[in-house]
Amino acid sequence: MSKDTILLVEDHPDEAELALRGFAKMADDYDVQLARDGEEALDFLFSRGQHRGRPSARKPGLIILDLSLPGIDGFEVVQQLREHSDYRYTPVVVLTTSDEQSDILQSYNLGVNSYLCKPLDFENFSDVLQLVSHYWLRNNAAPRP
Amino acid sequence: MPYSPSPSSGLRSAFSRRGIGRRLLLLIILFSSCVTLLSTGVQLYVDYQRDLSAINTRLDEVESGYLGSISASLWNLDIRQLQLQLEGVRHLPDIQSVAVYENPQGVDNPLALRIGEPVEQRAIVREYRLVYHLGGEGRDIGRLVINASMDEVYRRLWEKAVVILMTQGVKTFVVSLFILYIFYRLVTQHLSTIAQFVSRFKLGKATSQLTLARTPPRKADELDQVTHAFNELGDNLHQAYEALREVNAELERDIIARRRAEEEVKRLNEGLEQRVRQRTAELEAANKELASFSYSVSHDLRAPLRRIEGFRRILVEDCGHDLHGDAGHYLSRIESGTREMAEMIDSFLRLSRVTQGELCVEDTNVSQLVQRVFNQQQEREPDRPARLELEPDICADVDRRIFEVLITNLLDNAWKYSRQRNEILIRFARDQSSGQNVYCLGDNGVGFDMKYADRLFTPFSRLHKAEDFDGIGIGLATVQRIIARHGGRIWAKSSPGAGATFYFTLWERNTECEQGYYSVG
Repeated sequence: MSKDTILLVEDHPDEAELALRGFAKMADDYDVQLARDGEEALDFLFSRGQHRGRPSARKPGLIILDLSLPGIDGFEVVQQLREHSDYRYTPVVVLTTSDEQSDILQSYNLGVNSYLCKPLDFENFSDVLQLVSHYWLRNNAAPRP
Repeated sequence: MPYSPSPSSGLRSAFSRRGIGRRLLLLIILFSSCVTLLSTGVQLYVDYQRDLSAINTRLDEVESGYLGSISASLWNLDIRQLQLQLEGVRHLPDIQSVAVYENPQGVDNPLALRIGEPVEQRAIVREYRLVYHLGGEGRDIGRLVINASMDEVYRRLWEKAVVILMTQGVKTFVVSLFILYIFYRLVTQHLSTIAQFVSRFKLGKATSQLTLARTPPRKADELDQVTHAFNELGDNLHQAYEALREVNAELERDIIARRRAEEEVKRLNEGLEQRVRQRTAELEAANKELASFSYSVSHDLRAPLRRIEGFRRILVEDCGHDLHGDAGHYLSRIESGTREMAEMIDSFLRLSRVTQGELCVEDTNVSQLVQRVFNQQQEREPDRPARLELEPDICADVDRRIFEVLITNLLDNAWKYSRQRNEILIRFARDQSSGQNVYCLGDNGVGFDMKYADRLFTPFSRLHKAEDFDGIGIGLATVQRIIARHGGRIWAKSSPGAGATFYFTLWERNTECEQGYYSVG
């Protein structure tokens, strides 16, 4: 059985490292693809640019997204992928430091499935990552695209 | 300057068609003519009667003087004598003819003798029987017919009438003219003087006194009264007019001053509006800046803090066994530092959020709100005995969401500073004794020293040692900000060890202009 692919969109290398470390500690084994900005995330999703020729098996089953990204920001990424039939129902979880009401509202309006504020506690953070991944990839039932 | 019209024009006007003089003249002439006619009539009638009686007297004299001799002459048939006698009678005044007719009984060819021509009109005819006494027996022998004319009487009467009428008429006319002149001199002239003076009288012009061009009578007459009354009226009018003009001028000055003031107010208002617009714009800009600042705090300050904590954790996990001495202690200090920082950021965000956004004010049961928050607190620490004394159904117009933050902050405080008590007692009530709603929320905690009360609501300032009570000192600042947004005031009363009570009011002023709606994103 092939591993589920998670697309992690995080611009800050330290944040990415912490998140990847969190994934590494998990019992579940996921194929985590890191995108450094919105552009790269969209390239990976739609197999273009630097990710042309991405194996279709690696099509992400879960997208974990930071909102503040250089260039194309998180909102725009959500907007673009939701317009595409392949990703209309793909779970998108926003993981960010902002708990601003306007950000939460805008995210939900664009069709994200979950909005998480990064907890300060790193232990907690790993748990959250695992919980989210497990839930959306294993428990949640989504319509077929 | 005395004013008088020229006499000739006044006299002419006195005779004018509608003048009193003309009417007076006509009336005097009419009346006086009537009187003259009447008196002339009476006089003529008296004369007529006198003349008539004179004729009758004369005829009576003829009867007594001539009748006997004429009878004798007729008896004797002395024609010559008879003729003489008749001539004598005939020459008496007014007698026109005298005739003797013999009694025709028993006489052939009776005698008829007449002197003069009788007149038929305006005639007095008298007949006498001629009786001749013969031996004590009277015999009727004939008639004497005397015809007297009244022409003379009438002629005299006519002449007299003409003379009387002429003299009376002239007299009447002259007297009338005289009366008219006198009337003109005494009244009409002055009346027209008064009339012209009155018609030329103008308010506001220097007034002259009305005087009449005449020698003043010894005692003031009606004209003097009129003149005096009019002069007084003129003076009064003039004074009233002057007063009115003064008032008018005053009013005009007032109006000018008011207009100036209005312009000034308008100008100031425009300036004020301009300033208000400017300040509002500045305020909006500042608020926007604050909002975006809060946003970046929430987003950008938390991230590095989180990373510090993340890598601290990794350090402990991966390299924990390589660390020696106090390293573990220092790492735990880093942890508590970052935790405190994170709390401060959260609190700061809460504070900034209650100051932003539009208030959604609705009628809220504050008692229920207090009860609910109290219940939440109790659920969090179910082992601590706590009691709430609550005045039920205290309602107020507040933003329910933000007010919950306020109640939570106050109860958090009460809870926190009652830690050492066996039982936490919280009271919520409303005091209306001062005529305004004052809401009181009290506890039985450690209280505070009133000399630090002014620092109570300052952000990040604390009245107690951090070791004794946790928290970062922003709760009450948030509370005050919320009350301020609800147009109220908040103050506290306490003494160390005796609990603290927070009092607040709502809607003492309109906060509409202080509220702005700002959203980020």
